Amino acid sequence: MTESPGQAGADLPHPEDATDAPLPEGLPRDASRRLAELEDRPGHKGMFTSDLSVNEFLLIKEVGFHPLGFVMGSSIYHLGIQTRKWSQSQELSKLTQAMYEARQLAMDRMDAEASELGADGVVGVRLDVNYYEWGSDTAEFIAVGTAIKAEDGHSYRNRHGKPFTSDLSGQDFWILMQTGHVPLGLVMGTCVYHIAHRGLGQTLRSTGRNAELPNFTQALYEARELAMTRMQDEANELSATGIVGVRLEEKSHMWGDHTIEFLSLGTAVARSEGEHTIPQPQTIISLDG
Amino acid sequence: MTLRDEVCQAVTAVASPAHAAGDAAGVARGTTSDLTIDETLLLHSAGWEPVDLVFGISWWSIPWGVWQWTTGEVQEASAAFTGAVSHAAKQLRQSCEQSGGSGVLGVEVGVRVSSHHVSIELTGTAVRRAGADAHRFEFVSDLSARDFVLLTRAGWWPLGLAAGASFVIAPRRTAREWAAQQGQNVELPNLTQALYLARERAMERMQQSGAAMKAEGIVAVKLREGKASSSARVIQFVAIGTGVRLRTSTHRSVSPEMVVPLDEQVRAFDVRSLRSASAE
Repeated sequence: MTESPGQAGADLPHPEDATDAPLPEGLPRDASRRLAELEDRPGHKGMFTSDLSVNEFLLIKEVGFHPLGFVMGSSIYHLGIQTRKWSQSQELSKLTQAMYEARQLAMDRMDAEASELGADGVVGVRLDVNYYEWGSDTAEFIAVGTAIKAEDGHSYRNRHGKPFTSDLSGQDFWILMQTGHVPLGLVMGTCVYHIAHRGLGQTLRSTGRNAELPNFTQALYEARELAMTRMQDEANELSATGIVGVRLEEKSHMWGDHTIEFLSLGTAVARSEGEHTIPQPQTIISLDG
Repeated sequence: MTLRDEVCQAVTAVASPAHAAGDAAGVARGTTSDLTIDETLLLHSAGWEPVDLVFGISWWSIPWGVWQWTTGEVQEASAAFTGAVSHAAKQLRQSCEQSGGSGVLGVEVGVRVSSHHVSIELTGTAVRRAGADAHRFEFVSDLSARDFVLLTRAGWWPLGLAAGASFVIAPRRTAREWAAQQGQNVELPNLTQALYLARERAMERMQQSGAAMKAEGIVAVKLREGKASSSARVIQFVAIGTGVRLRTSTHRSVSPEMVVPLDEQVRAFDVRSLRSASAE
């Protein structure tokens, strides 16, 4: 939470919005109003919205959950500047912090929307980064997903009392529950790394030869390890027994060739109580062309 | 047969009396649909049959100058969107009823927003219960035939398309704010809030249109966003999904089974994937 939201009041598009609850903490008023329309109250029949496909919707119902609503969070973030040394590989901690914090802000808001609906968890979470032409050094971080709740009243919230988040699809969620695991949270680690350029001497020495380029190898290796370690730390913090569906994304965003963001994302899971036998999958040969 | 004759025949076939009327007169007429063979078979297995390809198209004008003289949300544009969607849906329904269908499946929604108008084009396949005499209009949905069969098997029925849109002009930062933010890691609260609210409003409008058709839920919501009109500062958010309702007393389990496909390449039973595969 870097900025006191009260400062934003003067530039809001609609004067009535100036009285909104602060952004980072609470939800904007429109969001609360939309979520209130989803909920069942005396005299008002609620409904659910979901970006799950029909398959996913039915599979979520199959494991005893009901979708509550499509939830989202976003943050437009101004990324700081950090000087890089041409010939030195290093982590750009300021950019790392920015990429992490902006995603965290978006996810916190998505969490807040899900909590508002009384959800046990959010599945099918997607994290996106948008760039707009009008914002230099700014990016919009978005988190969207579908809030779900257990129909038997059992709470699946994680140890922080928050709804679990997971980037697993409905299908994956169903399979995970079949194996006796429950998701605890979406965990991520990121590292923005500057990879040193090669010196003239190095370039000449390796010209025409089969040779490993140790400084490139090492830099990329280290950056990936850093991102994955951070993700694992998050999972440990949730007392997870494992992380499934880990993806490692590498993107240069707008920083040019030698600066890369390594983002690792996965769903922290834990074994649920009770014995579970994993059903033997049936093997099929499909006759589709 | 010459080409001219062929064209004339095609034109008369299209212009010939609608399906229902044709049946009554005992004239058989082929069906037109953009369903794949697999989907048609599946639909037949569930007791439904395709009837005809149906359309609904509507253009609504946006008052001149709204993009220039307003800030924040452009409500004229979202009102035009809502109007265009409901008009196009009405047309789709009419053409479905004319062709003797009782529902429209696999509706593709084409949305085009320019600075002076919004155009909505809905294309789908009208379907009806096989063997039934009277066909009461029941639903419009952007779900595929496969999704429709699955959904109805679980006791849920599609009702109609729920859609909502909002258009927002991204606020500018003041020079002082801009200067203070240079080189810093900071969130931009006014921009965040403007876009957040716009997204929420698009979804809220979609929810309201779902509530208007007495839906219990909206599935397969697609949130599209991007630059609208000629200005890069105008951002559009469009949320579209299918409103559904439980028709049986309780949700029926579909009892899925775990399978391991032994094909090298798993091909999902999905129109779009099949289409893209054939395009390659």
